[in-house]
Amino acid sequence: MPLDAHALHLAIRWLHVAAMATAFGGALTVFALSARTRNAGLDAALVEIALRYEFMFWLAAGVLAMTGIGNLAAFGTGLPLSRTDWGMTFVLKLGFVLGLIVLSLPRTLAIARLRRAGSQPLTEALQTRLRAMYGGTGAAFAVALGLAVWLAHG
Amino acid sequence: MARARLVAPKGGLVEWSLATFHASAFVLAIVFFLYSRDALGPALGGLNTLVGLGLFLALWATTYLTTCRALEGLDLLREGDQVLFARRAFRWGAANGMAFLGVLGVVLIASAVFVSPTVLLPVLFVAPFALLISAVVGALVGLIFSAVDLALLALARGALDVR
Repeated sequence: MPLDAHALHLAIRWLHVAAMATAFGGALTVFALSARTRNAGLDAALVEIALRYEFMFWLAAGVLAMTGIGNLAAFGTGLPLSRTDWGMTFVLKLGFVLGLIVLSLPRTLAIARLRRAGSQPLTEALQTRLRAMYGGTGAAFAVALGLAVWLAHG
Repeated sequence: MARARLVAPKGGLVEWSLATFHASAFVLAIVFFLYSRDALGPALGGLNTLVGLGLFLALWATTYLTTCRALEGLDLLREGDQVLFARRAFRWGAANGMAFLGVLGVVLIASAVFVSPTVLLPVLFVAPFALLISAVVGALVGLIFSAVDLALLALARGALDVR
């Protein structure tokens, strides 16, 4: 039975949105939790949650890259040229996403190092850094989402 | 012995994040380059969507396996293993390039052989050269990524200063 191209592209889009929701929502969740810890037990739990999020983040990042190209494939030869408004916004989004991925690796490695340091109460400075890292990730995803919405409906 | 060399050790967050970072950034950089030169549409137009997704998954898998091998016995989060890591990234980058070319070759041959079985002869002739080129490209990409990884690791140390 031949595969329905429309159904395939719909499935790819659904996967793309699900991965985006996971990465964006997860960053906001860790950000919100990092603003609320007040003792060593909660600090250890926060680091553990952040660590789990990092595994999910990279799964989502791989799926976003894969399905993003799948979405582009749906355009085929009808893909708008890079000098059009759509094209320039797409180049901006692509560059932005590349930057987001590059700057996410230090965050992941920092969490891996924090976990290795063992359970200890987080200092005020560490908590502030954690909030900044996950708040920044959430904000970057919000910008990427805005660009994606513009590309889809603008 | 050969089987043991193929099976990757159990990876943790460092292996998983580095492998996904390499595969995604590599593909996105190619997409960025092709699109900015208006060459992406024609390239994607000739590619079946499922085959494209499968090839990305294959690259992701080979990158993960080779990253695990490159980091085996190394503690990248600790200082001192960086030079060994760069050397291993060069070697396992070459292995990754050849492994991905192998997957790509199987897909291309399988799809072409039904149209024209005579295609196998030129493929056999070209294969050793293609393998060599893929090893060189893979090694260089591996080396570049190892430098990027180490720079980002230094950034991670500065971001959260923990002992």
